[in-house]
Amino acid sequence: MKLREIAYSRSGDKGDISNICVFAYEDIHWETIRSEVTVDRVRDTFGDLVKGDIVRYELPGTKGLNFVMTQALAGGVSRSLRADPHGKSYQSLILDMEISSSV
Amino acid sequence: MMTKRISIGCGSAWSDDRLDWAQELADSGLVSYMGFDCLAERTMALAQIRRRDDESCGQDQRIPELMERFASYLSSGGNIVGNFGAANPSAALDDVLRGLRTTGVSGVRIGAIYGDDVLDHVRNQNLELPEMGVSVLDLGEKLVSANAYIGAEPIVELLEQGTQFILGGRIADPSLFVGPIAYELGWAVDDWEKMAAATLVAHLLECGTHGTGGNYVDPPYRVLDDIAHLGFPIAHVSDDESLITKLPGTGGAIDTGVVKTQLAYEIHDPCAYLTPDSTSNFSNVWVEEVGPNQVRIGGATGQPRPDDLKVLVGVDEGWKVVTEISYGGSGCVSRAQLAAEVVAKRLEPYNSGISEIRYDLHGVSALFNHQLSRDEPAEVRLRIAALCQDREVANAVSFESQYLWMGPAGGGGVVTQIVPAVGVTPAFLPRDDVKIWTEVVDT
Repeated sequence: MKLREIAYSRSGDKGDISNICVFAYEDIHWETIRSEVTVDRVRDTFGDLVKGDIVRYELPGTKGLNFVMTQALAGGVSRSLRADPHGKSYQSLILDMEISSSV
Repeated sequence: MMTKRISIGCGSAWSDDRLDWAQELADSGLVSYMGFDCLAERTMALAQIRRRDDESCGQDQRIPELMERFASYLSSGGNIVGNFGAANPSAALDDVLRGLRTTGVSGVRIGAIYGDDVLDHVRNQNLELPEMGVSVLDLGEKLVSANAYIGAEPIVELLEQGTQFILGGRIADPSLFVGPIAYELGWAVDDWEKMAAATLVAHLLECGTHGTGGNYVDPPYRVLDDIAHLGFPIAHVSDDESLITKLPGTGGAIDTGVVKTQLAYEIHDPCAYLTPDSTSNFSNVWVEEVGPNQVRIGGATGQPRPDDLKVLVGVDEGWKVVTEISYGGSGCVSRAQLAAEVVAKRLEPYNSGISEIRYDLHGVSALFNHQLSRDEPAEVRLRIAALCQDREVANAVSFESQYLWMGPAGGGGVVTQIVPAVGVTPAFLPRDDVKIWTEVVDT
């Protein structure tokens, strides 16, 4: 199944850095998300959209993850030539990730 | 003794945010302060270009409308804090004074904050630009602007002087709210726990209707009522608790889901969210629903504010030209790809003047390159975007892209646009190097 079925997200931008947070709808899915939505999986999902590092942070208080991706916006919103220079739509790409259906 | 409490709302989250809904919140009487964030990285760069072209421009362009809509709020003693100055705070001050005269409102003490423009200073220091790997002087004529993100301190000082309307340039988004909270509750600006608590509230307010469900809705999983008429957010803050809510009778929601996405919006390390006012740790923040459209928040902890201030440096990148054209029906993807190849061939004589060009297909690969693939769409829109040093080359790119009117077959709906391109890149300055000063004007 898609991550979208158990989680929600939002992406934001600062310069050429994009951050995407992922939260579980239900607390029971937090551990699944934590174990499956890894840096490697996110790198596969974003491919050549992200040229720099991807770092994953946790927000245990709210059961959320935050991915910070550098060189992720083709130079940043003011100069990027991409159709979505802010990366606002990245939140939808991460939710397209396949999650093991054992949940 | 009554516990002190401040009720503060958000009135704007970006340069073109709507003022009608902000006015609804002002006229409700529910808030005594409203913070207006009018800037984003791109907006600040564009404001600098407007000022470069005309010395009397570069401030927020909504001030005349703002003064009209908020005349009644100001007359009844409401307070406003905003970074309306953008690239030109003194022009913003003129606009505010003119607006007060026009609407006949008097007795408003205005405070203006200056000093965020550090262009001369970064040039003299030849500041390093870590993301670009060069120094300021390497940019030569391409250096457009440099603005430091400034904090809540001058806002608190101006409120202590009885100002009711405060404006400035690149005041950091959360600081617009942190200042009034610190002043009203008597929180010291070097009490890091309090600054983190105020920054948490500010972070949940600063994005306006983004933070009341606007950017949350994603049916069928995330559905909220009446998002056609969202409400601006409100915070009620005291020493004991922080409550987030929104204007009653409006759509959207303040619930745990909405608030959590706003909590993590545009933060990097949640253990060290850096603003001019504090180093805040949001990793153990909790969010608790205490009523319909009302949450209690807490759990932020604070460390001393950073010694350096972030500076956003604007870089002239020439011109950005974007042209789009649609193709439909069977074979539409291959025809659009052929069209892109044709334009690339015709542009070969201009290649030396084109810094960067890309060809994307809306409906196929424009948002995510080829990371997602689906079946052949019924229609596609070819998007050609280029960055050019000179206007003439940008004109040529635009002309050759539009010439797709003449084939391949069936291309329609051409739209083209050429705009100045200004890149922004961060730098850092010791706090003491940024000299802030204020001005108070009585009306």
